[in-house]
Amino acid sequence: MPQLEQVEFFISQLFWLGVFFVILFLVLTYITLPKIRAFLNQRDDFVKSHISKQDELIKKAESIIENYEAKLTEAKNQASEIINEAKDKALQESETLIKATEEKIQQEIRQTEERVTKEKDLAISELNFQLKDSAINFISKVTKIDKGKIII
Amino acid sequence: MAKGESPLKQFEIQPIIDLNLFGLDISFTNSALWMTITTAFILIFFTLPFLKSKKTNSVSDLYPSRMQVAAELGFSFINSLLTDTVGKEGKKYFSLVFTLFMFILFGNIFGMIPYSFTFTSHIIVTLALAMGVFIFVTVLGFVKHGVKFFSFFVIPGLPIYMLPLLIPIEIISYLSRPISLSVRLFANMLAGHTLLKVFAGFVSALGIFGILPLVFIIALTGLEILIAFLQAYVFAILTCLYINDALHLH
Repeated sequence: MPQLEQVEFFISQLFWLGVFFVILFLVLTYITLPKIRAFLNQRDDFVKSHISKQDELIKKAESIIENYEAKLTEAKNQASEIINEAKDKALQESETLIKATEEKIQQEIRQTEERVTKEKDLAISELNFQLKDSAINFISKVTKIDKGKIII
Repeated sequence: MAKGESPLKQFEIQPIIDLNLFGLDISFTNSALWMTITTAFILIFFTLPFLKSKKTNSVSDLYPSRMQVAAELGFSFINSLLTDTVGKEGKKYFSLVFTLFMFILFGNIFGMIPYSFTFTSHIIVTLALAMGVFIFVTVLGFVKHGVKFFSFFVIPGLPIYMLPLLIPIEIISYLSRPISLSVRLFANMLAGHTLLKVFAGFVSALGIFGILPLVFIIALTGLEILIAFLQAYVFAILTCLYINDALHLH
């Protein structure tokens, strides 16, 4: 087996193994691996920053949605309030209108009644006067007494 | 199989450039060549996609290119492996586990290329890696816990009279870690590649019936690629577990 027979090359093999292993180790340690690491870190940082940015945006969107919902409920409440107010107002107005109309009608009825009684009184008094007159005329014609001397 | 070529010939080390350092033979061999290729490939594969920074600061910068996705896959694979076994403290040892895993993985994978050389099929290489891991985690344990690190060998909640029996067992199992770690990788690579070459020899020896071992080789190559990944994974996850042991003792 050459591995155990070629003893004369042991030192040469060890020497070159040492040389190349040390070269490889040093170059990898101080040049190559830091470069790879820096590259990977850069990418990781980029991804991480984007993830945090995304989280921020999600939070923002959530707060906007909350805001929107709060405003929506507020607007709904306001709308129902306005509707209720309008209903009340309309009801009141119609009631006052009805009342006013009723009062007016009653007033007119009263006025008419007053006018009717007045006219009735007038007619009765006129009738009285005419009856008196005709009675006086009749008496004076029958008794031949002057009209002015008859008093009823 | 050509005459006189053993299936083990693929593991032979051939010097390409003869080098000497203080009288030590440190020739640049085919093993060193494939280590060079592996190292260069890993560095290019993981560094190049991240070099050209457009710096336009736009979102399009953040979309990874295909090569970046591929490199990122390896990065996050080791990352999850380490955090799953060790936890958050494990991040400090990330580059060690990453280097080990990638070096072994691409060493194994490039070994699957015909006429290439698998440096992880050599016990001296895997043993060196395993010893490195072993020494590292032992030193780490002592740095973290000082003398208290020896309590690692005492299983809590055990009757006192069992300790003389179990402490040596624990120590032996601890010391055998680098051996099991290295032999596992070495033996898997050795066996797989040898099997491939043996059956490749049958293809030419059997003539028209060589189609059968050929089909077998194709299937086995797939299995070997799986093993190449699996062994690198096992090596890396065991390293993570050893680091975890050193950090948390029990």
